[in-house]
Amino acid sequence: MDDKRSRFEALVLPHLDAAHRLARWLSRSAGDADDIAQEAFMRAYRAFDTLRGPDARPWLLSIVRNCHLTALAERRRRACEPLTEEHETRPAAGAGAALPDPESASIERDERRTLARLIAALPEEQREVLLLRELEDLSYREIAAVAAVPIGTVMSRLARARAALKATWPEAEGEPRAVR
Amino acid sequence: MQCAESLRVQAAFDGELDAVSAAAAERHAGHCSECRALLEHLGRTRARLRRDLDYGQASPELRGRIAHMLDAEEAAGRRAAQPRPAWRSRPFWLGTAAGAATALAASVAVVLLAPLFSARLPDELVAAHLRSLVPGRLTAVVSTDRHTVKPWFAGRADVSPAVGDFGAQGYRLVGGRADYLDRQRMAVLVYEHGAHVINVFAFLPGRGILPAEATRRGYHVSCWRGGDLGYCAVSDAGWEELTALRQLLEDLAARETR
Repeated sequence: MDDKRSRFEALVLPHLDAAHRLARWLSRSAGDADDIAQEAFMRAYRAFDTLRGPDARPWLLSIVRNCHLTALAERRRRACEPLTEEHETRPAAGAGAALPDPESASIERDERRTLARLIAALPEEQREVLLLRELEDLSYREIAAVAAVPIGTVMSRLARARAALKATWPEAEGEPRAVR
Repeated sequence: MQCAESLRVQAAFDGELDAVSAAAAERHAGHCSECRALLEHLGRTRARLRRDLDYGQASPELRGRIAHMLDAEEAAGRRAAQPRPAWRSRPFWLGTAAGAATALAASVAVVLLAPLFSARLPDELVAAHLRSLVPGRLTAVVSTDRHTVKPWFAGRADVSPAVGDFGAQGYRLVGGRADYLDRQRMAVLVYEHGAHVINVFAFLPGRGILPAEATRRGYHVSCWRGGDLGYCAVSDAGWEELTALRQLLEDLAARETR
C-alpha cells in the first residue's frame, strides 16, 4: 500500500458514514446514495492533493454535494424515473444494527417516513444547509464553504428550513403521538 | 412577525457566538417570548432530526466497492508502463518516412530498454493534467497568439517549445503555463479540441526513454521527441486526436528549424 493510499485511508475513509448519510438525505434514495458516495470517494482520492489541513470532512462533504448535484442534473436531463415515496423513504439496510421489536419498529418507521417527507419537501438549498448543520454538525463557516454561499445566506436558509419544519411538525415532542 | 434578534438567537443556539454575545442573546430570549419559543423549537427539532435521521450507515457492500475502487486507482497509479508498440497503434496514413523511422526507433528502444525508463512519468503527467482541470489552474497566460505564449515561457520554464495555434484544424491554442514536475519546470501548451482539453508538456527528456504511449486512469499520454526536447500530450481525447495534434506540432517544429 503506497503512502497516498494509507494517508487517504487514515484521513478520509473514516468519514464514509457521514458522506453516505449526506448523499442519502440529499438524494433521498438509498440506491443513489451508494453511487454518489462511491463517485465522491473516487474524486476525493484523485483530488487528494487539494486537501488542505487535517480535517477532511468538510472537504469530502463538499465533494459529495457536488456529486449529488451532478447526478441530479444528469437525472433531470434524462428525465427518467420520478422518485416514488417508497423510493424516498426506504430506510437504509441496518448494517449490523440491532433490530427493535416489530411493533415499535413500525411506529418508528412511520415517524421516520413523516420526517423524511418533511425534509424532502424542503427546497434543495434549505435542505442541504439543514443537513450539514444538524446531521453533520458543521459550523456556519464550513457550511458556507461547502455550499459556496456567504455565511449570512447560511443563517437565513437555516432559519427558513427550521421554520418550515415547525410549520409542518405534527405535534410537540414528548407528548404521546397518535398512530395514524 | 419575526423578532429582529431571531438570527442571533439561532446563532447562539448553534454555538456560533462568542461568550459575551451568547450571554446577550440569552438575556434577550429571557424577556422575548418569541425567541424563547424559537429556542425551544430549535432544541426539539435538533433532537428529533438527530434521533430519526442519523441512522444511515454505509453498507459493507459500499465499503467493499470503495476498497475495490481504491485498489484500482492505486494500481493505475503504480502499474509499470506498458506502451503498445508504436508501429501497431499509429494509423498507417500518418506514416511519413520520418515518423516511421522515429516510431521504429522508439519501439526498438522500448523493447530493449523498457525496464530502464521511469514508469512514473506518465503518472505524473496525468496527475498534472488533472490538476490543471481545477478551475483557474489551466492557463497562466491566456492567449491564442503564439507570439504571446512563447515569450511568456522565458524565465518561467526551462525550455522554449514550438508554439502554434491550429484553430483551423480544430486544435485551438488557449494559452500556456509552467508546471514543475520531474524536477524541472516544464512548459505546457494548452489546446482545446471540441470539448477536450489537451495539455502538451515540453521538457528536457534526460537520459530516460520516453514511453511512446501510455494510458492512466483513462487518460491517454502520447510522447515524442522534437529536436532536443521531449513532448507529451495528455488528454481524455482519443488516440487519433492526440496523434493528429502531435503531427501538427512536429510539422511546425520542422518548419521552424529549417
